[in-house]
Amino acid sequence: MVETIDIVTTHAKQWKAPGLFSALIVGGCLVIAVPAFAKVIDAPTQTVNAPAKPVYASTDAEQIKVLQDKLDTMQDQLSQMTSGLASRSTSGEGLPIHGFMDIGFATNSNRDPLTADPSGFYVGSLSFYLTPHFGDRVKALVEPNFEIPPDGSVAVDLERVQIGYTFSDNATAWAGRFHTPYGYWNTGFHHGAQMQTSVLRPRFLDFEDKGGVLPAHMVGLWGTGKARAGNGKFTYDAYAGNGPKIVDADIGGVLDINQAGDDNHQAMMGFNLGYEFSGMMDGLRLAVHGLNGDVNAYAANQAFLNTTTLNMVGGSVVYLSNEWEVMGEYYRFSDKDKSGGTGTHTSWADYLQIGRSFNDLTPYVRFERTVLSQLDSYFNNQVSGQSYARQALGLRYNLNPKAALKFELLNSSFKEDLTGTTPRTAYGYRSFYAQYAIGF
Amino acid sequence: MKSHIFKACFAAILLLLAVQGANAGDIVVISNSNISVSADEVRDIFLGEKQFAGSTKLVVIDNAAMQSGFLSKFLNMEASKYNGIWTKKSFRDGLTPPAVKSGDAEVIEFVKQTPGAIGYVSTRPAGVKVIQ
Repeated sequence: MVETIDIVTTHAKQWKAPGLFSALIVGGCLVIAVPAFAKVIDAPTQTVNAPAKPVYASTDAEQIKVLQDKLDTMQDQLSQMTSGLASRSTSGEGLPIHGFMDIGFATNSNRDPLTADPSGFYVGSLSFYLTPHFGDRVKALVEPNFEIPPDGSVAVDLERVQIGYTFSDNATAWAGRFHTPYGYWNTGFHHGAQMQTSVLRPRFLDFEDKGGVLPAHMVGLWGTGKARAGNGKFTYDAYAGNGPKIVDADIGGVLDINQAGDDNHQAMMGFNLGYEFSGMMDGLRLAVHGLNGDVNAYAANQAFLNTTTLNMVGGSVVYLSNEWEVMGEYYRFSDKDKSGGTGTHTSWADYLQIGRSFNDLTPYVRFERTVLSQLDSYFNNQVSGQSYARQALGLRYNLNPKAALKFELLNSSFKEDLTGTTPRTAYGYRSFYAQYAIGF
Repeated sequence: MKSHIFKACFAAILLLLAVQGANAGDIVVISNSNISVSADEVRDIFLGEKQFAGSTKLVVIDNAAMQSGFLSKFLNMEASKYNGIWTKKSFRDGLTPPAVKSGDAEVIEFVKQTPGAIGYVSTRPAGVKVIQ
């Protein structure tokens, strides 16, 4: 460009052309050159300030769109699945059925008259419990139980048939056959072998045909609930129903809970009032209980023998934590003889069980003792009404939250008492139990 | 060399504590919008001690993904004890144990749809009441 201008001006001088002609030539060259030069100058500026746009092939954009569409579809499907799963409600989805089952092995140094099973393997019990709900407040609880009594047959029993109505968090009313709510053990575990830490129950709290001296079941009405009191909760149970009778009293009587009607038409009534602590003493429950009602005794030929007013008061202490299980119950009897005129007789019974968990292992120990007056017809008429002391040492191993292996060694001694109509001779035995129990 | 190892361990410990702290705090109790419950009632609700909020039956659900942390933080107990309590509640009182949902999404959707529902998640979702 500069050379062109020099050539033009040089030739202009040589020809001595007029200055205007030279100016025109130079001006024309500038008009042509400056824009071109300016363009050359601008181009680098444009390149620095605006990066060039990436150029995609058309197939990449299509692929991205396809992937995006797939992602949107998957998201919609996931949302639908989540909504569908979440909308399934627990209520109305059939009848909830649960239960417990246990089998075991037992051996005794000497037979207990009440558990006269020979040494060897045994089938414990198969207990179902159904908890149907009918709306928010009406519910039922049914517990059929299958077990093998000493004669080896299969016995079927309706352990619980109760229908309830929940008025509020503080009050639920039940009607039907229920676990008599004295103490803690009877309602806390009952036929749930997998739930209770030990193999056997305290003997005097066992079922009516297995050594228990109290009616473990009752047919009647039961009100129960809890109410917040201070930092803890006040608990209550109040119940009334058919009192038991003693059958076969002359040949080894047992309690019959009168589930088809009350033989003496006098309701037996009871209560259980407690307090559940929280805070530093969370897991501690203290309670008092009582039971009162007339009990008739009948001979094997159904002849009436006598009437006793059962009058029991007592208390319970329970402490449950992640590591400890401490349970103790005390029962004091002041029973009045309404037939023979022998007055009022005092007896008592208690137990204390302590267990400590080390992960899945729980060793435990239990002490039981009863001092039962044989002048009291209520105890003397029952084959299980003899005073005794028992110590139990055991170990529970949780295979998983629903299955447990238990091993229990017991030492039992029964006291001589010749004061009653049925004389009691002293005897004792040691026994060992192994149990495999499941809950479902 | 030792200083490098010490620094690496220190950083790892800090990271571990930070992660744990984050997990322990990331549990939120939520309920359906039609009920009103307080934070100090959460324990009673999840242990079956409180069944109603006013006249509305509570529907309690567990979150399988968050249960361990929830039990530790809110109930101070292990899963085995929690399950044992509900087994006893069912056996003694005829109550139905809480249904277990697989994770946050299912819990949130259920709580939104179900009157009286209460559960726990790791976020603060919209459309539900946050209790704690």
